[in-house]
Amino acid sequence: MTDIIMGILEEGLTYAIMALGVYLTYRILNFPDLSVDGTFPLGGAVTAVLLQAGANPLLTLPVSFFAGAAAGMLTGLIHIKLRVRDLLSGIIMMTALYSLNLRIAGRANVPVFSRETIFDNAFLDKWVPAGVQPFLAVLFLFLIGMVMKRLLDWYLGTKSGFLLRAAGDNEALITSLAKDKGTVKIIGLSLSNAFVALSGCLYCQKSGFFEISTGTGTMVIGLASVIIGMKLFQKRTSVKATTAVIFGSIVYKTCVAAAISLGMAASDLKLITAVLFLLILAVSSGRKGKVTANA
Amino acid sequence: MLELRGIQKHYYPGTAHELCLFDHFDFTVGDQEFVTVVGSNGSGKTSLLNMICGSIPVDLGQIFLRGKDITAMPEHRRLKFIGRVFQNPAMGTCSGMTLLENLSLADNKGKPFGLKKGIDAKRISRYREALRELNLGLEENLDIPVGALSGGQRQALALLMSTMTPIDFLILDEHTAALDPGTAERIMELTDKIVKEKGITTIMVTHNLRYAVEYGTRLVMMHQGKVVMDRSDREKEQLKIDDILDKFNEISMGYAKEQNLQKY
Amino acid sequence: MKRMKQISAMLSALGLLLIAASGCTGKGAAAGKYAVGIAQYAEHGSLDNCRKGFLAGLAEEGFTEGKNLKVRYENAQADGGTANQIADSIAAGRTDLIAAIGTPMAQSAFRAAGKADIPVIYTAVNDPVAAELAREDGTPTGNVTGTSDRLPVEKQLEMIRTILPDAKKIGILYSTSEVNSISTVQEYRDAAPAHDFKIVESGISVAADIPLAADQLLAKVDCLCNLTDNTVVSSLPLILEKADRKGIPVFGSEIEQVKIGCLAAVGLDYYELGIQTGKMAARVLKGEAKAGEIPFKVCKEASFYGNTAAAKNLGISIPEELTGPAGEMFDRIEEHQGKS
Repeated sequence: MTDIIMGILEEGLTYAIMALGVYLTYRILNFPDLSVDGTFPLGGAVTAVLLQAGANPLLTLPVSFFAGAAAGMLTGLIHIKLRVRDLLSGIIMMTALYSLNLRIAGRANVPVFSRETIFDNAFLDKWVPAGVQPFLAVLFLFLIGMVMKRLLDWYLGTKSGFLLRAAGDNEALITSLAKDKGTVKIIGLSLSNAFVALSGCLYCQKSGFFEISTGTGTMVIGLASVIIGMKLFQKRTSVKATTAVIFGSIVYKTCVAAAISLGMAASDLKLITAVLFLLILAVSSGRKGKVTANA
Repeated sequence: MLELRGIQKHYYPGTAHELCLFDHFDFTVGDQEFVTVVGSNGSGKTSLLNMICGSIPVDLGQIFLRGKDITAMPEHRRLKFIGRVFQNPAMGTCSGMTLLENLSLADNKGKPFGLKKGIDAKRISRYREALRELNLGLEENLDIPVGALSGGQRQALALLMSTMTPIDFLILDEHTAALDPGTAERIMELTDKIVKEKGITTIMVTHNLRYAVEYGTRLVMMHQGKVVMDRSDREKEQLKIDDILDKFNEISMGYAKEQNLQKY
Repeated sequence: MKRMKQISAMLSALGLLLIAASGCTGKGAAAGKYAVGIAQYAEHGSLDNCRKGFLAGLAEEGFTEGKNLKVRYENAQADGGTANQIADSIAAGRTDLIAAIGTPMAQSAFRAAGKADIPVIYTAVNDPVAAELAREDGTPTGNVTGTSDRLPVEKQLEMIRTILPDAKKIGILYSTSEVNSISTVQEYRDAAPAHDFKIVESGISVAADIPLAADQLLAKVDCLCNLTDNTVVSSLPLILEKADRKGIPVFGSEIEQVKIGCLAAVGLDYYELGIQTGKMAARVLKGEAKAGEIPFKVCKEASFYGNTAAAKNLGISIPEELTGPAGEMFDRIEEHQGKS
């Protein structure tokens, strides 16, 4: 039981950082960015290669972050400078990244079981008591998740962050403020994809291997987490949107775990997940309806 | 202050619908002038504003602001010196952000948008003061999202926001057209107050002839990309709505005549 | 508002119940009873045969499902995230052993089981060394061992030479995302010159690329050689049809592919591979050896499979030396079963 909850938390917290990135583009910038399907494995590919080369696991975090930022910036440049539609620029970047990720990693599957990772290394083995070891991954992921959430909250509270929020809300105002809306979007996409790649980096270290196929469907998981989180946690309380997104990711992964536990035919797994997802949406929109009826 | 020289503007160039709206169009606005612009639909009023702001490019000609050629300057750089209020109140504010956040954004226009705190606590009392002057009770609601405000409140806020920082030029694009008569009246009074207090050079496009006559220091009527009536100062003071209506009829009659001639 | 609270409460209760229930399922390792979790990466003929063979192998050694063996089966539907969660879920259920089918599944299971120290027996892993499940000398990297489905490339090339004495170019279609395929293509490339063949390969990234890639490849080669690439195998009927139209023979690499119309294959019988794996698992369950002490095995049994119906269509005769006693021949082309 504890193990299952730990497993869900590990998955949920890892993907939560990706979901924060998706929240930034989808909710704040109002930009459906499909490049995340490529930047998530990009973080993994960069991480796997660095670990294979014997780099310090801590180094993989900033490197993935900046690799993701660069990819996001390219998506933005394609959209702004070449005037390609938002959805298409994401698709183009995602497609390009597929090959790029294979190039970076060298092959489709790179194991790092035998390497030191931030979750499993000689230092931790030496200094952390064995009883705490099983909870280390969750603890680390929680801490990193908190740092990233705080970072995002802080950024959204700065002048630059204000501009980003305004860009998703009302592009015309950005121009009125004598700022180039294109630049603002590029910054937003960079930041978002940096988060996504960092999540991919953690995912790779947690799983013990990089696998090219992990990117498929990242956007869907991110969107589901954002929507579940906002619907379920934000309406009722004064929970911050970023916190809600993290909860959303954990709830989404709980749905998947529940679907697995139901012991249904394997081929129905996605269907069960979809139904649980739908149930949450139905319940929360029902609540919204009530509130307006009361008002 | 502002000078448009030899402007030429075609729409749909190279197609069967090609339309020449402006041909050798010249227009000058003097310092601290408050120009009201009237004209029928398609007369080129909004195009004129869009060309000044850089929302649409000109085909030929030059635009000068304070003697500086801004023809090639992108829209967002021109708007450093220009404030603009749109017909739709939603265009001038961010509905998802609070009043305080909106005002902080506007207050920072022309300065870098870096990683400093978005809201400067020291300036909140100033925002509150500015809101109080609007007399809409907004000063008590700094933390509610702007989306919750009424159209009139939003437009008042948009007006405040666009004139918060020092600007050379204010552009009002039918900014009372989407409001109910009472609210429109208040926004107009507010506009007049702000423009007079700050001494901002202003162009206001309006469909409301009474506002065009009552407010401003100069009235311009446009038709088919040309200025057909231009009265300032004393001439303008003596101008009545009926005079404008007469001119309107004259133009449209002429237009109808032209159409008929073409028909037969 | 009240109704909503009730529903949310019900939902959370449901979720907790599900999780609690799953936590209980695996605890059946009472005296004389064993629990095994089977985690399969994708749903696909060869892998399904692995699983069936695995259970048969266990049964041969006295572990029969339903009697003294409790089996929990999960399939990740080729989704990496799901594979991880399945591995976590099974490992948390305290099974006696996890059987992992397919490379990414084996890696996920290895990671998840490592924490709980549950032995992992894998199969259908092409290159356990590259997957870091075994060291260069074949010894395991942890409490994990199993069988490799490395293809008998040399024997396959010999067979193609025997059937097509004049062929020069062999086309191979594979997906760039499957690590097994990439290493197998490399093996073919290395081995081909000795048999006077040249390998023309075409890498695809999604199933939708296959029709175009197949057309281009068919224009350049004398025959196709199909691997065990998951994506390509799913579209094999399409490739066979295109090849048929041009009269180009397609060789397979396992029994199922020959059944549905490949001309011939020297390949693996995944059912046999499963049996072999099941027997390894039985040794671990009986306590004869720890998984970490058993080196991984490569399936030695490479048999010849031929399809006389396909041969007739192509106007090719399969030489007697191949169809001998060890070979298995099919005289009709079965309809593709698709998935499962």
